[in-house]
Amino acid sequence: MSTVTQFALLFIGGALINNILLTRFIGLCPFFGVSGNMETSLGMSLAVVFVMMMASTATWTVWEFVLEPLGVGDFLYIPAFILIIASLVQFVEMYLRKASPVLYRAMGIFLPLITTNCAVLATATEAAKPGFFKLNIPIGASLSLGQALIYTLGVSIGFGFALITFAALRERLELSPVPRLFKGSPIAFITAGLLSLAYVGFSGWFGL
Amino acid sequence: MKDLVKAFRQGVGIENPLTVLMIGLCAVLAVSTQLQNAVFMGIAVTFVATMSSVLVSLFRKLIPNEVRIPVFIVVIASFVTIVDLVMKAFVPGIYQVLGIWIPLIVVNCMILGRAEAFAYHNRLLLSAADGLGMGVGYWLVMVLLATIRELFGTGKLMWFETTLVSLPAGYAPPSILLLFPGAFLVFGFMIAGSRWLNERSAARAEARACRR
Repeated sequence: MSTVTQFALLFIGGALINNILLTRFIGLCPFFGVSGNMETSLGMSLAVVFVMMMASTATWTVWEFVLEPLGVGDFLYIPAFILIIASLVQFVEMYLRKASPVLYRAMGIFLPLITTNCAVLATATEAAKPGFFKLNIPIGASLSLGQALIYTLGVSIGFGFALITFAALRERLELSPVPRLFKGSPIAFITAGLLSLAYVGFSGWFGL
Repeated sequence: MKDLVKAFRQGVGIENPLTVLMIGLCAVLAVSTQLQNAVFMGIAVTFVATMSSVLVSLFRKLIPNEVRIPVFIVVIASFVTIVDLVMKAFVPGIYQVLGIWIPLIVVNCMILGRAEAFAYHNRLLLSAADGLGMGVGYWLVMVLLATIRELFGTGKLMWFETTLVSLPAGYAPPSILLLFPGAFLVFGFMIAGSRWLNERSAARAEARACRR
């Protein structure tokens, strides 16, 4: 399989077929938390793409050059990865506040929230130490840095796409007549169920 | 003693992390396709929630306010590692199925949220009761969701190899319940149901107060 095909499969597999929100249920807290408003959803999506890319680079490097060679990966990967992500996010936030106020205003307030976003930890773990999602891609046991980054990009864009679609639906729902008991979150869940039904249609594409 | 029971009951009922606070949902929706997975996942989460509440509460006077979040995360991550390795050793079949959800307990907002909001400010026993209550409340909702999904999605309820309950032979199970959308749909109805129950008990309490 050529490199380009592999990259394309990793991207599409991450973004649509294994959409992290709607077919894996990872990262649902921001999905229901910030999707009430279109603007915050855009900011959140941007921040997730940004943080996921950095987190995957960091965890991949640490896994490849520190944890794996030392043979301590199996029992240290959870604390190591979460600490890497938490401190990385903190640094990025401080740096952005100084360096780029515009970018900070767009996504700054979401950065602390992202530390405990399971989507970031899951993707970064998968990029460094594949096997949890049982991705059906013939690429061998571990990803190269380039593959890991393409995969992460796919996942994060899939995340943003699903979040923005859902936010648009929820803005419409605000104005719709909904039975009293179902107002707010119950109807949001049912909407998410229907949206996820659409994503089930992607499974099986390209034999993934 | 009374406030211990109260802290415990709050987690199970009116402050239920799943149906009321709606935190830590991801794992619940993902692993609730089978009763046995939900039971083991619930035990893992309850263990981590209780133990991390105990440890955070024990050291609450020593943990500086500025670095409390990283400290909580390290405490939680250590307990999650314990659960991860124990489950890998003793229930490998379940561990295979739960997969990434075990390490993801670290970022379960419920556990970090309780460490921050409750255990950091309260004494040891009270925090333990709160962690246990939250864990049990989480466990109950997840088991209920899994029971509904497995029973109506496959037509029977399994516990490892034995069949616990099975529906009449003519029942054609709608497989959507086992797919991803089914989790969202069933959970949406469950929140509406729990809201109805809470409203009803609040109305009753009010009626009782009026009569007095």
